Amino acid sequence: MSRISNAFSSFFGILFSGALPPDVAKAYGYVKAEVKKPEAPKAPEVKPADGALQLLGILQRDARLVDFLMEDIGAYSDDQVGAAVRTVHEQCGAVLKRCVTLAPVIDGVEGVYTKSEAAGANAKQGLKFIGNVPAEGRAPGGILRHKGWKAAVIDLPKVSPAVNLFIIAPAEIEVE
Amino acid sequence: MSSGNVIGIDLGTTNCSVAASDGGPVVIQPIPQLTGPGELREEALFPSFLYIHGAKEFPEGTTGLPWDDAPKYILGEWAKRRGVENSSRLVHSAKSWLSYSGVDRTAPLLPLTAPDGVTKISPLEASTAYLTHLRQSCHDAQVLITVPASFDASARGLTELAATNAGFTNFVLLEEPQAAFYAWLERHDDWRTRVHNGDKILVIDIGGGTTDFTLIAVGETNGELTLERVAVGEHILLGGDNIDLALAHAVEQELAAKNTKLDAIQLHMLWQRCRAAKEKLLAKNATQRDEPVTILGRGTGLIGGTIKATLRRETLEQVLLNGFLPRVDKDEQPVKAKRAALAEVGLPYASDPRITAHLARFIQQAGAPTHVLFNGGVLHSEIVRQRIVEMLNPVQVLEGEDLMHAVARGAAYYGLARQGKGIRIRGGVPRTYYIGIESSMPAVPGIPAPMKAVTVVPFGLEEGSRVELPKLEFGLLTGEPAEFRFFSSVSRHNDKPGDVLDPIPAEVEELSPIEVNLPAAAEKITRVTLAADVTATGVLELWCVGKNDNRWKLEFNVREQTQ
Repeated sequence: MSRISNAFSSFFGILFSGALPPDVAKAYGYVKAEVKKPEAPKAPEVKPADGALQLLGILQRDARLVDFLMEDIGAYSDDQVGAAVRTVHEQCGAVLKRCVTLAPVIDGVEGVYTKSEAAGANAKQGLKFIGNVPAEGRAPGGILRHKGWKAAVIDLPKVSPAVNLFIIAPAEIEVE
Repeated sequence: MSSGNVIGIDLGTTNCSVAASDGGPVVIQPIPQLTGPGELREEALFPSFLYIHGAKEFPEGTTGLPWDDAPKYILGEWAKRRGVENSSRLVHSAKSWLSYSGVDRTAPLLPLTAPDGVTKISPLEASTAYLTHLRQSCHDAQVLITVPASFDASARGLTELAATNAGFTNFVLLEEPQAAFYAWLERHDDWRTRVHNGDKILVIDIGGGTTDFTLIAVGETNGELTLERVAVGEHILLGGDNIDLALAHAVEQELAAKNTKLDAIQLHMLWQRCRAAKEKLLAKNATQRDEPVTILGRGTGLIGGTIKATLRRETLEQVLLNGFLPRVDKDEQPVKAKRAALAEVGLPYASDPRITAHLARFIQQAGAPTHVLFNGGVLHSEIVRQRIVEMLNPVQVLEGEDLMHAVARGAAYYGLARQGKGIRIRGGVPRTYYIGIESSMPAVPGIPAPMKAVTVVPFGLEEGSRVELPKLEFGLLTGEPAEFRFFSSVSRHNDKPGDVLDPIPAEVEELSPIEVNLPAAAEKITRVTLAADVTATGVLELWCVGKNDNRWKLEFNVREQTQ
């Protein structure tokens, strides 16, 4: 699991690097108890960045995600943005479903009282208590506000060592 | 990786798939393939595309496969993707070429548009390359390879040759619609309660590039139900890709009216997006009047360059129900016309896009069915199914089919059936074959002597059987190649070996000639008779038989042009 979570945190780290609002970081204060400090991970067979770069490359190639996020959309009408978003959304979704099997941490109904034990095996890291949190930092239950997501299976293609993953998308030169 | 005792290979025109069983349930096998430079992934489908890459086109080490460091071609998903960017090096529809007697199928002619300096390959080599790749996931198993029911003897022979060249040793050919029906049998243990003695089941298989019809009759022997394939349709190069292309053209025209021009890559994207929009409009319970079709800008400016169009339900229904599936009379015939400009150079695509007209002709020849089994992605669509059912009425649809993987699954199930673990469909050769003989008439300058046809192989000749024609004797020159003109018919089922057709009726079509090369001998002329075998593999072989039971095999001359 450490490989998966590493890959994910680096992936989102790259995507949002620099743009992370300070209050989000502050929000982490709530989950201090849950954030497990990685205990000297065993030498991973893949560098954490590799999976992130690979997924980013696939999202760009198959769904143009990097083009979309890097473009200044302020200049366009909602209509124009909407037209492109439909396609990007559909194709990003397809890539995500193909590469990562996602499941909710708690398969419950949001807005309804839910016991913490509903998280099952994921209770340790998969729960974040918000609101009127008891002194010890955990509660037996509460209103389910967000079902959470967990990556059940990661299925990324194997990559040859010859591939430079830092090239997210090659420049294209059309020969006349 | 699990590999069973039997493996079914659906060697499709646009996609291949593989299913396996070790005696238990049949499962689809993932096929490892390159999906990008140096990117290896297992996918359920293996696109039948081959890309001939240049020596310096991709970085070193990025075209390798686990079993081959430097393959000659790129195959599968990556080839399909790369072919969009550079179509001149892409080989596709190799299977359609393999069955086209108008070209030399062993000559390097693909891709037709390859630039100078690219070494072209033959349809046979392309099929061999796909099979070589697929063989990696078939270890020591009995392999079943499917071919269209409409493939003639030479196309089956070439498929057999491709499989042999790919290194397969233990394989059998099976017709695709039969495989689809086997897959249905596999899914329905209770099939004996669903069909009865006297029923006739029409299998309609509309794939990406071809349409195939087969009729299977249910009989009864000693209280047990039997199945027999009694008719197959002609080879029709018409399928789902044609529909998507027609939709793309309709949308392109609407764009052109607004002065938006598309380049080749954008056109390809439009084709893909139209397919996606079509599937959404045809989905169950879909009610929207139209579906947006967007082509994203090609540079990094994605939104700025986006082209927006719409596929209207009206357009879709117009194209589908009036273009491809119009209502036709029972005695309708497909129109044979000169090709329109839309066609690619080369392949003999069906000139009449009306699937219903082709179906009407098949029913005229084979008789009306009591049941219908659908196969192929096009038949996901309810309105397509309805139109066909309406045309065949009264008919019952065999429910519970697997439109996308049935052929590979059914092929594997047939492998089990051959081991005695299931019922087999009796079939044999799906055509009657004739040899052409000049009528003896006084020679008239400038007019070729009229031909008559002598029946050599009767319809339905079964695997492992032989026919001999002792009364028909030829004198062949030794040491020189001799050629026979060769004919077949899918609709004449009652001609017996030796029966003469004079004149040759219209439903008998000429195939590639067959030839034999007798070794030089003391006697200048050797007298021979003809014999025909259907091998255990399911391939027709023709022999010249001399005295002392000397035999020389007649080979299909796939080099000769007949059209």
